[in-house]
Amino acid sequence: MTEPRTDETNPGVAEADRLIAEALADHVRLPAPQRLRDQLAARHVVVSRARGPWRSWIAPFALGAAAAAAVAVIVVRPPAADPGDTAGLDEAVGDHLRIVSAPRPLDVESNDMHNVKPWFTGRLDFVPPVSFVGDDEFVLRGGALAVFQGHKAAAFVYQRRLHTITLLVHADAAARPRDETTSRGFHVIRWAASGGFGLALVSDIGWDDLRQLEDRLR
Amino acid sequence: MMLSRKPRPLAVVADGAEPAGSLAEQALAYVDELYGLARHLCATPSDAEDIVQETYARALGGVARLTPGSNLRAWLFRILRNCFIDQARRKKILLEIADDGVGERAGSEVWDTAALDQLRYLAAADLERALATLPHELRFIVLLDAQGFHEAEIAEIARCAPGTVKSRLSRARARLRDVLRGEP
Repeated sequence: MTEPRTDETNPGVAEADRLIAEALADHVRLPAPQRLRDQLAARHVVVSRARGPWRSWIAPFALGAAAAAAVAVIVVRPPAADPGDTAGLDEAVGDHLRIVSAPRPLDVESNDMHNVKPWFTGRLDFVPPVSFVGDDEFVLRGGALAVFQGHKAAAFVYQRRLHTITLLVHADAAARPRDETTSRGFHVIRWAASGGFGLALVSDIGWDDLRQLEDRLR
Repeated sequence: MMLSRKPRPLAVVADGAEPAGSLAEQALAYVDELYGLARHLCATPSDAEDIVQETYARALGGVARLTPGSNLRAWLFRILRNCFIDQARRKKILLEIADDGVGERAGSEVWDTAALDQLRYLAAADLERALATLPHELRFIVLLDAQGFHEAEIAEIARCAPGTVKSRLSRARARLRDVLRGEP
């Protein structure tokens, strides 16, 4: 610490500065939350160790643990249940959790939408209506197949800093007003899109960021 | 739906001459210091966590930019400062500019024993309130000083001249004295 300036003509000021500096030194140190430590360790220590012969099998686990850094988009065929109900909401969050915690969260890993979107051809009986290719703030990570209420679904995975967002898109969805909900601590935004698709974004990221992605997807 | 800019490739595994795992572990040893400073700069704990996470993402995604022999701790704090500024821009928070044209105050203050005793038994909440009155740049510098950095290191982190650090520290201390003594 820089020694507070000594004012020889005013020793009171020098003593006040010294006492304040001492108090600040105690005050500035705050323990980082354990959650933050765990996320950082999972993302950086495990991943950066996953090199050479270890990498081939460690990396998928590291990616799963670090999936707090991803944004996923899931596109599904119409479920039997109304996606606006509680069960649909819980399942949306469940799909999101499966993607972020799976040992291999992505079936196709690429930040080029022209690689990811064609990957679903032949694997789904519909074309996922997602044209947002990602940008510097929401980087496309890849895609994966998922299952939503008994139907095949497509997942597009993006990265927003260290957070994960899941977007569910339901074909033939009933018209519904846009809404924002919190389920198990995850933020969920749902809205209807043209063509009869319903979309739901799920994430632990802040509302502002989630709304930014919604704007890009619309 | 909107198309946007070309995506930036991911950098998940750090590359560099130094073993990345070792560097990551060294860097993570500073998480408390980084979080402590971030928490005093940001309005909410989640904002502080975000910039600490972003600091590590940038630092460990660009290891090649840390030259051998560099001060890892100071380098991390410099990245944290950049992350904080970027976050403020994203949130459209106006960061006050430290007015280096303002001269230091004349040393005419009177600190008697009773006033100094108040500082000896300072409440954390009072100190936090006093810190909050400082412009962000002054707060950043006074917090770096409290973390034990020397003026030259602070100058490197804050990207300003050592003389500017000295001047800003002096004005920050004067402001803290005023607030903690209940002066406007």
